[in-house]
Amino acid sequence: MSDKSAVVEAPPVIQAENLQKRYGDFEAVRGIDLTVRKGRCVGLLGPNGAGKTTTMRMIMGLTTVTAGTLTVFGKPVNAIGRADRARIGLVPQEDNLDPELQVRQNLEVYGHYFRLPSAVINERVPALLDFMELTEKESQSVMQLSGGMKRRLVISRALIGDPELVILDEPTTGLDPQARVLIWKQLQALKREGKTLLLTTHYMDEAERLADHIVIIDGGKILAEGSPAELIREHVRGHVFDVQKPLPDALANGRFECEDIGDSVLFYVEKAGELQQELSKDVHYLHRPANLEDVFLRLTGRKLREA
Amino acid sequence: MDWIIERVPYSVAVWWRHFLVWQKTIWSSLALQMVNPVLYLFAFGFGLGAVIRDMGGLDYLVFIVPGMMAYSMMFTASFEATISAYSRLTMQQTWSAILASPVSLFELMVGENAWAIAKGLFSALGVVIVASFWGGIVSLPGAFLSFFVLALAGFTFSACGLAATAHAKNWEFISYFMTFWVTPNFIFSGVFFSIDRFPSYVQALAWLLPTTHVIGVIRPLTSGQSLDPVMTILHILFLAGLGGLMFTLAYRKLRSRMFD
Repeated sequence: MSDKSAVVEAPPVIQAENLQKRYGDFEAVRGIDLTVRKGRCVGLLGPNGAGKTTTMRMIMGLTTVTAGTLTVFGKPVNAIGRADRARIGLVPQEDNLDPELQVRQNLEVYGHYFRLPSAVINERVPALLDFMELTEKESQSVMQLSGGMKRRLVISRALIGDPELVILDEPTTGLDPQARVLIWKQLQALKREGKTLLLTTHYMDEAERLADHIVIIDGGKILAEGSPAELIREHVRGHVFDVQKPLPDALANGRFECEDIGDSVLFYVEKAGELQQELSKDVHYLHRPANLEDVFLRLTGRKLREA
Repeated sequence: MDWIIERVPYSVAVWWRHFLVWQKTIWSSLALQMVNPVLYLFAFGFGLGAVIRDMGGLDYLVFIVPGMMAYSMMFTASFEATISAYSRLTMQQTWSAILASPVSLFELMVGENAWAIAKGLFSALGVVIVASFWGGIVSLPGAFLSFFVLALAGFTFSACGLAATAHAKNWEFISYFMTFWVTPNFIFSGVFFSIDRFPSYVQALAWLLPTTHVIGVIRPLTSGQSLDPVMTILHILFLAGLGGLMFTLAYRKLRSRMFD
């Protein structure tokens, strides 16, 4: 990728316009526009029930589109043939591995679903086990694996058909930091290989690290999108001051953008100095650079979402 | 023809997955599949056989062996297409993993059918092996031919099972299927005694059960009697028609259940 403009101009792998999905009376997705270009990693962020998984399922052709247009590899999603479906790898939210089979067999069996020749399967399976550091476990049954190993195996399985587009639905939820770091490293390796990634996650650090472009959705609609840096600049400026109540008078006059979160107030400012000079010694506060989590919470609210 | 050839490898891949899983628990699976019909064979063959000298002009053992063959296919294929398939659909999510690959729902279902048929043929083979040592098979070539009929029956039973699985909202529904479909197929289809002993309205009911039609063809085959060509064709048509109908129902329901 020496030519940067080539990346920007890369053809869209996924293109959705006013995409909608209704289950009976429930509108899961209410008009989403989304473009995922070749070689990019797009992160779909949203609370539980925001419509992330439904959007992914529509892209995979696993659920029908109620309204709007959705093209994958330049073709309408309902007209996608087997050859194009084989170019997509899915890492679903749940671990639907074959628990009775060995680690290795899980990949082999999945390779047959892609009608891969045995020679290709025999070549790819060890490479994928190595990629996700599962080589030592190859003869164990899936039942004996830890949660992190199962997740890594699900990711390996999604790669058996050497897909151009990899769709990952919460790939690291519930994993320990070591497993997450390994998965991040390998997803970045996939990106370098030129694969297109579409990712959902609840972890902002994960999105910040992996995604070039982030789409925040809630209630089936897009709330904001952009690169992590753009989103932070636009919605929470550069710095966050978490100031304990009662507020000093200098801050209570509405000069600064702020958000009341109960016991304290969050102030969003571009330059730390602007606000710092207003804080006397007896005010309790926390100062930190703004991050994507601030953006997310500001946009989607702080109320709990029950799954 | 190309339409079929293109799809076969994908259904075979599903079949192969089930085979590998089955292999892991081969001994308990074998016991489950073979012991059950063989136990019945002993109980009824020895037990009742000592009392009942003849049934429908046949030695009772010769009478009951084809019944047990049909029963073992009926039970195995129904079990596989409901209890096993429903757990692959719900708890294990095996089907959703498969459908995320290039395998289509149709190919997945054909693979499920083919696997249920294979397992059913296998348990029927167990019955034939035991019965032939014991003098329950008069015509071995007839027994061989009856496996083709059993394969068709396996399609019918597994298609009925998949239709139930497709409509099932919980395990209770599956147990209704067992009680109101599998058990009547066992009791009212002439496995143990000729259905002409029933009052006429029960006989009419019996003719709606596929097991009656399976036995209608394979009992003459294994006992070395001649087949009535017209009745044989009707039996076969019934099995194929019911299987085709149920497969279509199952396909439609699963498609809307999984994709809408």
